Amino acid sequence: MIVWNSACRSARLSTRPLTVRRCLSQRTLDRLTDPVQSYISTSRDPYLNLSIEHFLLQQSAPESVVLLLYVNRPSIIIGRNQNPWLEVNLALLDPSSHDQSYSEPPGLGAVDLVRRRSGGGTVFHDEGNVNWTVICPSKDFTRDQHAEMVVRALRDCGIDRARVNVRHDIVLDQGQHSLTIGSDDTHSTPYQTPEADARKPLKVSGSAYKLTRQRALHHGTCLLSSPNLNIIPHYLHSPAKPYMTARGVESVSSPVGNILLSNERFIASVQKQFGKLYRSIGDAQEVGDEWQEHDSVRKGCDELKSPEWTYLQTPQFSISNQSDTLTDVDLELSVRNGVISSGFCGTRKSGYSGAARTGLPAGLDGRRLHDISSWDDELGGSLPSVSHDRVTRLCKWLHMMLPPPIGRPNTHFR
Amino acid sequence: MSAAIAQSGVAAARALQGPARGIARCSRQQYLRLRAQQQPFRPAVRSFSAGARVWEKRYTEDHEWIDTSDPESASIGISTYAAKALGDVVYVELPTEGTEVNKGDAIGAVESVKSASDIMTPVSGTILEVNSVLEDKPGTINSSPEGDGWLAKIKISSAQELDALMDAEGYRKFTEETDKK
Repeated sequence: MIVWNSACRSARLSTRPLTVRRCLSQRTLDRLTDPVQSYISTSRDPYLNLSIEHFLLQQSAPESVVLLLYVNRPSIIIGRNQNPWLEVNLALLDPSSHDQSYSEPPGLGAVDLVRRRSGGGTVFHDEGNVNWTVICPSKDFTRDQHAEMVVRALRDCGIDRARVNVRHDIVLDQGQHSLTIGSDDTHSTPYQTPEADARKPLKVSGSAYKLTRQRALHHGTCLLSSPNLNIIPHYLHSPAKPYMTARGVESVSSPVGNILLSNERFIASVQKQFGKLYRSIGDAQEVGDEWQEHDSVRKGCDELKSPEWTYLQTPQFSISNQSDTLTDVDLELSVRNGVISSGFCGTRKSGYSGAARTGLPAGLDGRRLHDISSWDDELGGSLPSVSHDRVTRLCKWLHMMLPPPIGRPNTHFR
Repeated sequence: MSAAIAQSGVAAARALQGPARGIARCSRQQYLRLRAQQQPFRPAVRSFSAGARVWEKRYTEDHEWIDTSDPESASIGISTYAAKALGDVVYVELPTEGTEVNKGDAIGAVESVKSASDIMTPVSGTILEVNSVLEDKPGTINSSPEGDGWLAKIKISSAQELDALMDAEGYRKFTEETDKK
């Protein structure tokens, strides 16, 4: 760990006025050209950590290799081409903004929603999960090599059930020890069970990648000691899923488990394996809140926090209540780039004959879905031929499926 | 040819150019003077090679291709080599029609095997059209990367940029070298 110099310490002890701006030091910028770089973040802000990661991807020397480790406060991170309405129970993210009857489970408070720049599926981050990122030249990239490095780090800590699976994730095998396998192969363990066995491996780390012209970024999670394993499925199950048809990338669900290792031990082991792989001995540099003051990083943060990036990047989808038995006013909405682009409304009694259907209720066409904060306000006066009760039931359904978005992302620290 | 015509004696010069359409109405002296003024036919190297270039694909070191059979609307996409390396494509992010782009700009992205890969435009210009088939069938990039899996059509703003790109044979050698590394 780097020893803080006195200037840094006094800055942290007092509340820094916003007018005090510190740029990244020249030493920090010079370090971007080092052939092997190792960083560790002191921030728990997912927007900042992902922006620092992106900055390192874009600014580190093309031939360099970079390791970054960070931990985020409770947040849900969706992949670049995913649909937040499909993947996430959005109503749970801000318990203060709605009915208590919705707020199950208790205790987590507000949870951030972040769309990252790499591909892949949705993951839940909290303080019991450590994220690792390795950036290397494109020509040296393979999807497994750094997951293998993390497996070696885990095995060094005594976690000998860990291995890389065919999806480039890290799993813990759950079977009995078999004496027939005993090797350094990071893709197999003595605890593997046959396919048909009920003791499926538990996923402890998921991988995702971003590939640019010269650089390849591989990042992954590592579930060490999350207190929220029972709660996470609630957040990652959207009530709207059965009613949606969506393009884009869907998550692949797997049973997960904690490795039961401390963050510090894991971090030290990964740093050691990284140093071994790239034949480098050196301390990791701390990165944190002060990086927010660098223009490029701040712009990246602002982009990640923007509703445009979070919601308008969503691939095309449609939602229909046709299969719902409690509402009897049919509604179908098509949403393109996060904007309601077409749809229809009709009373179910009349079936689907063209005459019974009307176009989109007035005022919905061209609306950004995330801008809609009250379905009652939107539809209240738009369906004059439909009884008030029916409209109320429809609005209640819409409120559950397409809940009003959370307010601005959390800017306070926990 | 018509560009080489001198301003003076234009009518007589015209008569000299085309097939004989009646008698050239000038004296022998005028004729000899005009003939001396005319530049000897020297085909521009560019136009000749452009004629050959127009019908073939060109490739970048980032494994994109561009097809300029229709000079007003060139198709771009990724090569078979790149499509194989990417794996099964599950989503394609396409540029917006009307966007102006510079050579090397990221104009879209492809997702495959949990990886988001940028696609760069090989040339500068304006995006005219995008391949909407890829919205429903992103796998077309794998089944026909250099045919039906085209990504976008672009109006090229600077034809010189094409000179820096590789032809099919050059690209084939480039990928062989890349594989050896």
